[in-house]
Amino acid sequence: MACRILILAEHEGGAVRETTFELVALAHRLAGEAGWSAADIKALLIGQGLGDLAKGLAARGAAEVIYAEGETVKEYTSDGHSRVLESVIKAESPDIVLASHTPNGWDCAPLAAAGLGVPIATECSNVAFEAGKPLFTRKAFNGKFIQVLDLGDAKPKFATMQKGAVAAFTGATQGTVRALPAPVGAAPLRARFAGIKKSESGGVDLTQAPVIVSGGRGVGAAEKFGVVKDLASALGGQVGASRPVTDMGWLPHEHQIGSSGVTVTPKLYIACGISGAIQHIVGMKGSGYIIAINKDADAPIFGVADVGIVGDLFEIVPALTKAVKEAKGQG
Amino acid sequence: MKSLVLIKQVPNTDSPFRINSAGTWVDEGNLTYGLNDYDRYALEELLRLKDAGKVTEVVALTAGPERASSALRTCLATGADRAIHIKDDALSAADPLSIARAIVAAVKDEGFSLILAGLQADDDNHMAIGPFVARLLDHACATAVTRLELVDGTTARVERELENNRVQVVELTLPAVVTVQTGINEPRYASLKGIMAAKKKEVRTLSLADLKGGAGDVAASAARFRTVRLAPPPKGKGAEILSGAADQIAKELVKRIREKTGVI
Repeated sequence: MACRILILAEHEGGAVRETTFELVALAHRLAGEAGWSAADIKALLIGQGLGDLAKGLAARGAAEVIYAEGETVKEYTSDGHSRVLESVIKAESPDIVLASHTPNGWDCAPLAAAGLGVPIATECSNVAFEAGKPLFTRKAFNGKFIQVLDLGDAKPKFATMQKGAVAAFTGATQGTVRALPAPVGAAPLRARFAGIKKSESGGVDLTQAPVIVSGGRGVGAAEKFGVVKDLASALGGQVGASRPVTDMGWLPHEHQIGSSGVTVTPKLYIACGISGAIQHIVGMKGSGYIIAINKDADAPIFGVADVGIVGDLFEIVPALTKAVKEAKGQG
Repeated sequence: MKSLVLIKQVPNTDSPFRINSAGTWVDEGNLTYGLNDYDRYALEELLRLKDAGKVTEVVALTAGPERASSALRTCLATGADRAIHIKDDALSAADPLSIARAIVAAVKDEGFSLILAGLQADDDNHMAIGPFVARLLDHACATAVTRLELVDGTTARVERELENNRVQVVELTLPAVVTVQTGINEPRYASLKGIMAAKKKEVRTLSLADLKGGAGDVAASAARFRTVRLAPPPKGKGAEILSGAADQIAKELVKRIREKTGVI
């Protein structure tokens, strides 16, 4: 069995992550476009005690699951996991390698790519064959533009995929599994796992909130956040924020929505003064109904919103708060 | 302990961005440039370690065309001790792998114990140079770091940002390459005194031709990494834009919130 596409699978809490099945779905589509067999799609799991996970992945899209196990790779480290990835790519010689653009994916994938002497297309929103060549679509300038890359004669063509870019694979397959002692090499590991910590949270759980009103850089200052908080309170919702807001200390970190904060899916999401960098959008695009208020008519947030208002949030938001209160009979 | 910060000069986000005539990148003639925001945090982190007496020297390096020298000047004025500029017009369109190789060729004999970079550049958003340099130098690596502490002369303890408000604590054996997240610190600005002092600091300029394999590698990179096209993002479903007076808009929004979400 040849290996055309190798997927770096991720697991967490004893389950294969959903992002991995997004890669599986993409691999099946690419194999179809290229005229390759679905039997040429393999996946790599790295960790310890992975037998059942490997079987599950082989039953859901991977023709062969290689599971590399060892005490040294039980927890994720850049050294351990990138060495295994690099070694398995060398052995399998795939044409395309797909990893998820997650904190562990973006950490170890470029290490392996550099070891193999190939470039990497990061945070791709799509990969598709055009005229017989796979082209990699990704954002540039923080989402102002999309860039389409040709990785030419690179072998393998290596990419990390944005979470949620492709719908997850739901089909059933009968793949095989193969255990492998994790090939971490003889050199000592220089990155050592020393624990996972939860950042302190003030009891804010945005993931369960039915309504979230978020503020971004456009709010301008910590003391101006009152208008955002007032609207959230009138709607019985929670206050969210984009990264610059928590970086500047206007709100605590647990309010941050996006790729490095939390992913939310409220019934109603109102974005105030948020331009819509892709890192924010991936964390809120699954919301039921999205309202965006921003001064810049070209802001990417309007691309995902249902309704947009191009204007000054300090006029619109207080007016909306007043109207909501009136509608609820509290005006 | 010698330390290095990898920096990049990028277009200011409020620059007038236009796609070039070939449709492959932005028209650079229209843009104004500044130091990549993430890199300011990386520089600050090293300056703090120097203030604390934990590193002896902070060197700033960039690989880019002539214009990039002003970003190095900013670093020197902010407190970096000296700078290295790998200067070549070909670098503005080069792929991250050949840039990383050029950086490695320039620094491999310097003996830096700690190399910092921003998590990503605000122009091409690759997030690759840091890990590439780490792998090519065979150094330890950590990305998206929100806390960094030098335990002693051989070990750094870092916190890597994960999803859902979690961090992974990692111990790295030095030498190491670390990319930092924004928010790790509060970057300082250059003082007038710093700006004056920067004029006397060393900027070593190297050309790709000075570096082993450099020019040929950059020239050959198009065969493995080429932008086919740059385009505005797809509009998606696109928002319906409401306009009018604030209270009219507010009433209209309330009506929609009622109909579409039922939360009122």
